[in-house]
Amino acid sequence: MSDHDDHHAPQPWGPHDWHHGAPHNSFSPLFLSMGVAISLFGLAAAWDYGTYNPGHIPTILLGLLVVGFSMFIWWRQDISFDGHYDPISTGTPFRGIQVRKVATWVFLMSEMMVFTSLFSTYMRYRLGIENCGTVFERGMFDPVTNPTGWQEGVAVTCFEPASHLIASSWWHLAPGAVNTFALILSSFTVVQALRYAKMPDLDEEARRKKVYRYLASTWCLAVLFLTLKMVEWFVGFYVPEISFIGLHEHDIVSLVDEGYTINADHYQHHSYIDEATGAHMVANIQVSASLFYVTTGTHGAHVAGGIIGLTYMTFKAWKGLYTPANAVSIEYFGLYWHFVDLIWVLVFPFFYLY
Amino acid sequence: MAHYKILGKDPYWMNFYGLMLLTLIEVAAVGLDLSDFAASYDTTEKVVTLWILTIIAIPKFIMIAAIFMHLYGDADSKILTLTALFPAFFIIIMVLFIGLTHPDATTGLPDWCRPGTYGL
Repeated sequence: MSDHDDHHAPQPWGPHDWHHGAPHNSFSPLFLSMGVAISLFGLAAAWDYGTYNPGHIPTILLGLLVVGFSMFIWWRQDISFDGHYDPISTGTPFRGIQVRKVATWVFLMSEMMVFTSLFSTYMRYRLGIENCGTVFERGMFDPVTNPTGWQEGVAVTCFEPASHLIASSWWHLAPGAVNTFALILSSFTVVQALRYAKMPDLDEEARRKKVYRYLASTWCLAVLFLTLKMVEWFVGFYVPEISFIGLHEHDIVSLVDEGYTINADHYQHHSYIDEATGAHMVANIQVSASLFYVTTGTHGAHVAGGIIGLTYMTFKAWKGLYTPANAVSIEYFGLYWHFVDLIWVLVFPFFYLY
Repeated sequence: MAHYKILGKDPYWMNFYGLMLLTLIEVAAVGLDLSDFAASYDTTEKVVTLWILTIIAIPKFIMIAAIFMHLYGDADSKILTLTALFPAFFIIIMVLFIGLTHPDATTGLPDWCRPGTYGL
């Protein structure tokens, strides 16, 4: 909508009359960034050089309160958005393309840089630090025959990929593998939601149901992803006895319970036992474990962020507020969600399988 | 939205099937015993697995970006693909110059290029 009315004064706290253009006087983005700044300041002050100072917890909570308040206002303003106002770029090279679409792509590319830095760090240490399996295979230390071997009780600093635990059996791999299929499926459901939201010759109620169901499915798959991630990291799971397929009752232990933690300086994998002497090889795996948790955790944080957006969009779809005119919102969110899937396409093979 | 077909079928469904199939191959490549195959090429099973995973990750990446993210087939696909490829230069620098350097580089490098020395 280009008939911007200069005499109209849109409400800064919403809901907003979009027929008069976008609410450029919205306070929400400003307050949101202030809230983030306050909470980050509180976080930095609460942990001062490793010393925990609980006196700053109220500052963190205040910041989160401001963030929540700003998002509520933003939501109130956007809930009235009927899609008739979508600014179009007028300059080269993006002339004729929606400004928000270009901005989403630029944002995604900045995100790509974040993950590239994590991947390059992973490559550096994976290639640069000797693998714990290789150290173990060198055998036990002997001053004459094996001076480079490992000694019982002396931690070796080496690279222990999480895949050594995760890819050790189909059951260990199950949460990560299911998550991979869940993310691909969720990418498909979000694109289906967009398809039905944009379909011009669809009955309004049929559109509402289709878009709502596909977005709700995406939400469920995203929650499943994070749940399985928590199971894999912290909880583990129980495998029952199913005798007719030869399955024996056993527990799948979580990564943390296996001792695979970011501060593990005396980690011991089940297979690092010398058969002849019964000696255990212990390893300092802080670098490899940190890389695993930071990279997969950063990806998980993006999934969590997506869930927040999906919650709002699913609610909006349930209210029947998506039409072919404003379906681009699903497209822009879909770009972000496919990007999260894209990153997992690289994280899964190189952090879970290899 | 996609205005084309893949093998006469809906592109999103075909892409979905393709991604599922490639992921199954990935998981199978890790679970199956490839030691004999690796030995026939005079290499280790881990190297073969890494090659398979890398080769499969590339088409998966392209399939998601091209079809789900509409970098193929839309009027604005070309310029948005170029936008998406813009940080490739920086990514290559990061991967090559950070990812492939040795962690001991700061201590293992010759004196003349270590911090604080500058060949003086």
